[in-house]
Amino acid sequence: MPRLSQPLLVIQDQHFLQHDTGPDHPEGSWRLTAIAQRLRTGLLADRVAIFPSRSARRQELTAIHDENYLLRFEEAALTGRSYLDHPDNQICYDSYQAALLAAGAGPAAIDLLEARQGCAAFAAVRPPGHHAERAMALGFCFFNNAAVAARYWQNRYQRRRLMIIDWDAHHGNGIQAAFEEDPEVFYLSIHEHPTWSFPGTGWGEERGSGSGRGTTLNLPLPPGSDDAAVLRLVSEKVEPALAQFQPQALIIGAGFDGHRDDDMSGLAYSSQLYGRLGRLAASWAGRYCPGRLLTLLEGGYRPDILPLTVENYLAGLLAEQPPTTDSQTDSNQQREMP
Amino acid sequence: MKISQHMTRPAVTVPPELTISEARELLRSHHFRHLPVVDGEGTLLGIVTDRDLRSAYPSTILEEAEGKARLQDLARTPVSSIMSQGIFTLSAAATLDDALLLLDREQIGALPVVDEGGKVVGIFSIRDLMRAYRNLFGLGERGSAMLSLLDDGRPRPLSRLCAALEQADIHFNRLLKTQTEDGHKIIYLRVNTYNLAAVHKVAAAAGFEPHREE
Repeated sequence: MPRLSQPLLVIQDQHFLQHDTGPDHPEGSWRLTAIAQRLRTGLLADRVAIFPSRSARRQELTAIHDENYLLRFEEAALTGRSYLDHPDNQICYDSYQAALLAAGAGPAAIDLLEARQGCAAFAAVRPPGHHAERAMALGFCFFNNAAVAARYWQNRYQRRRLMIIDWDAHHGNGIQAAFEEDPEVFYLSIHEHPTWSFPGTGWGEERGSGSGRGTTLNLPLPPGSDDAAVLRLVSEKVEPALAQFQPQALIIGAGFDGHRDDDMSGLAYSSQLYGRLGRLAASWAGRYCPGRLLTLLEGGYRPDILPLTVENYLAGLLAEQPPTTDSQTDSNQQREMP
Repeated sequence: MKISQHMTRPAVTVPPELTISEARELLRSHHFRHLPVVDGEGTLLGIVTDRDLRSAYPSTILEEAEGKARLQDLARTPVSSIMSQGIFTLSAAATLDDALLLLDREQIGALPVVDEGGKVVGIFSIRDLMRAYRNLFGLGERGSAMLSLLDDGRPRPLSRLCAALEQADIHFNRLLKTQTEDGHKIIYLRVNTYNLAAVHKVAAAAGFEPHREE
């Protein structure tokens, strides 16, 4: 039977909600509840296909994190400690299991994408990941979900050249640290300038090191920057970097905290910007790596803004999908199977 | 704040009879710009900079033969013939502030650090100065962010701010009150938390609004 288009894959999991950060913590489970509600009842209800996550396997995690850190995190959660490494990183008994599932969401989505089950994938995960370091939790993050996904994509499917584009309002220090010396993973981040913003990293002059020199690109924006500033960077910096690097798969670190009403940053993006970013991501994937576009949720802390901006972004992703039929999909499969 | 904690030591020093070509090669291989010249006892005689060395080299517009002859000269000429003498130094008891003021006033790039007998114990360059102040301000410390707040003009602003932050269990590690040239009193605060919104809330409740630079 011919189909209008492939669905957008969404990874959701009830167990993400069990990571309890306590009252008044900005990174609460309401974030995913609100997104799920919007996807169930909103404009995109019949365009998405929902799948559960799976726990990241030990070797998938140790590609990015120290084994001792895994043990330390698990022990802290199971023994009832209230936080890991810093009071920002609140945990509960179930946090380790939830974090394993968040880190496994990328690999789960990648398996579905590689099996041609959808046009693109969005993993609505928490805890978020891009601040997590090799052996340290930071900024509400425990496992580096995007870094784990990138290594999985390389190791399981031999997609060697990966680009991670992170437009969360904050610099993804953990992703940068993981791939700073790696010429095959390009980390590009647009974030509020480190002089004014957590975590105080992501300076424009950092371009990677050793053989990874040139595959890190930080694009800091001063407080108050708006849509026009982002779109200018897209055409002047991001698109030339994509054209030069020619990624075989694309991971988007999607934080929605640059919105002008989200007080976790000083950036001033509109809700519409996220629709534009969705269309852009889909068009880049269409050009360089059709069907291999994974988006991971990072920040976004306003209950009334987050579900709306996520929906705008996903609608943007879908707006750029060319209609396909089953027969076209089959021929794609034949052509692109490794 | 003592210079002895921040200087580069030991300094690479050279004897006065070292040739200009050898000195140039030494600077090139070490990526620095200043060479203290010392006698056999380690007592400071002068300093040679990369600029002194560059000016000693023949211009490329010279005829080839003439240029070659000059290069041969340099391979025989000692650095003592081009070093600066009567130079500024720091004592090991000097502070970062002494160094900043002297480097700024004299528009120079480095200061040899000498003991009471005039022996070189280290060298302190602008690069060392930047690193020292960078650490002092916590610049680039992962997991932190600097906020600037407007002083509300009421008494004891820093005590009130500290009390409010500690009450709210907000970790911070730098606190600085200063006045801009246009008369604004600003408080700079480096906090160790992602939750800047919570910090701003606590600060506002204590009377401190964010300072927005134009």
